[in-house]
Amino acid sequence: MFKILKGAGGERVFKVATISALVLLAVFFIGIIVSMLAYTRWDAFVSALFSEEILFAIRLSVTTATIAAIISILIAVPVAYAISRASFPGKDIVDSLLDLPIVISPIALGAALLVFFNTPLGAGINNHIIKFVFAVPGIVLAQITVISALAIRLLKSTFDSIDPRYEQVARTLGCSKPEAFFRVTLPLARGGLIASGILTWARALGEFGATVTLAGATAFKTETLPTAIFLSLASADVEKAIAVIFVLIIIAIAALLVIRKIIGRRYQI
Amino acid sequence: MIEIKGLSLQLGEFHLKDINLSIRDGEYFVILGPTGAGKTVLMECLAGLHHIRKGEIWFDRTEVTHLVPEERNVGYVPQDYVIFPFLNVFNNIAFGLKQARSAGSAIPERVNKLADMMGISHILRRDTRSLSGGEKQRVALARALAPSPAILLLDEPLGALDLRTAKYLRLELRRVHRELGLTTIHITHDLMEALEMADRVAVVQNGQVEQVAGPEEMLFYPEGEKVADFIGAPNILDCDYCRDLGQGIKEVGCGGLKLTVPHEGGTIRKVAILPRHIYVSETRPPGLSVNGFQGIVTDIKPVGNMVRIWIDVADNNLMSEIPSYIFEEMSLAVGKEVFLILRMRRIRAYEKQ
Repeated sequence: MFKILKGAGGERVFKVATISALVLLAVFFIGIIVSMLAYTRWDAFVSALFSEEILFAIRLSVTTATIAAIISILIAVPVAYAISRASFPGKDIVDSLLDLPIVISPIALGAALLVFFNTPLGAGINNHIIKFVFAVPGIVLAQITVISALAIRLLKSTFDSIDPRYEQVARTLGCSKPEAFFRVTLPLARGGLIASGILTWARALGEFGATVTLAGATAFKTETLPTAIFLSLASADVEKAIAVIFVLIIIAIAALLVIRKIIGRRYQI
Repeated sequence: MIEIKGLSLQLGEFHLKDINLSIRDGEYFVILGPTGAGKTVLMECLAGLHHIRKGEIWFDRTEVTHLVPEERNVGYVPQDYVIFPFLNVFNNIAFGLKQARSAGSAIPERVNKLADMMGISHILRRDTRSLSGGEKQRVALARALAPSPAILLLDEPLGALDLRTAKYLRLELRRVHRELGLTTIHITHDLMEALEMADRVAVVQNGQVEQVAGPEEMLFYPEGEKVADFIGAPNILDCDYCRDLGQGIKEVGCGGLKLTVPHEGGTIRKVAILPRHIYVSETRPPGLSVNGFQGIVTDIKPVGNMVRIWIDVADNNLMSEIPSYIFEEMSLAVGKEVFLILRMRRIRAYEKQ
């Protein structure tokens, strides 16, 4: 059956097949963007983009995503290092558990958080320490819940790629374990750290499911960019939705370009 | 003095079994063994990189078994050197000095002095990623020496280098050792390297120390079959006479064989050559052949992926060792006449009887 795929002819067929798939996918994405461009009335687009509501959403999204990304990276560095270097009983199970937020639907995570804040402990925290439910801290918490697993995964592969012998040599040159980590491993992980930071930030910016479930979708209060798309579509304001979509696309492209520029090669996930 | 007492360690597939060694102050001590023998693990134990449950390690009457690496004051040059890629040459060498918080002006002074000693002063500002193997080796050595360690550990320091650089750096390492008088432990799988550099050699196989001896003793009197097999049972010939040909070359007569041997010094009484350094050919090798002879094959025996061939030459019976794939392309048989060359630079000469 695969006879025609043998020899030089087969090589050509294979090459054409793989490149065709690539072209089809590219056409699909470009088609979507072109159709949006065709649909847009530009005067309405500009006025929607600079409306109070959208500017508020941009500010809120950038602020919450930045805080969430910083906190996630700060948590992910020690966790990823521990999974990469230490061996302890049950490590495989912990490792798999940490992947759950990547595969579980964000709305399920948001719902789970909401349930937690209905328990006595959760309600106590929500009422007396920080108010998360239907409030801005809820956006940050929802984003952290979704993106920290991604940050850990990215940083783990960074630490995996760093030969432990660098630290060993640093130790023989007088560094304690923490000193070796800060003086050698962190500088070696610099590219991976920046890439992980930007990718998790971009992912946080686009987070919707968990955010809307925990923090709600109130204009001028908890309305992030993805929430703005949802609210615009719900009120049949397509221009506004498209304006926000373009904002998200531009931020995403900028983030990927910055990563490429800083690391000097394609980042690896 | 370094003392290892009853050290045992299991580490994945590597294991060390009841290692006992004592290494004298200022000694150049070589640990010799095949790949996977546990040499590196043993060195890492000395550097403090493994948690030791059984056995003891003492440096100068102080037990260091459970000390962390930064408390042991050892200089460590690992395989492939592990140069910090995010620092330039200067900052690599200065790494340990900055860690010890040496006074500001003392650091450049010390780095420059070491760079001078290693002949790398001209590359101090270079990015380490552009260094050659030989340069990396010197940087790693300077980096290890900078904090003035009491012991220097070298893991296959010449293994990643091309032959010429390696040969040159052998001399360099010995010179550095002479100048600093630092107790040095050097790991290698290369017998010739061990014989040339060591004050004493320990042969390690399967995680065990098989023999500790001076290089000559190791070569002439290997203890047990394992060591003899690894050393490769050299051909040892007694010399009847020795004549100086000038320019560091001597001619010796060994039972009818007239050999040309490079040797600075007095009268040669004995020469040794490893079987792998005797070339066998069915046809007369072209050109001028120094130490080329004709002989008769007396025995052939395959050993692993090598074939050992015994040849009667003059009044001697020499053993040569060639790879099987080469043997298979020849049509050697017992009783057949062959030509052989004893590689001049590989012949080791001894003045003691």
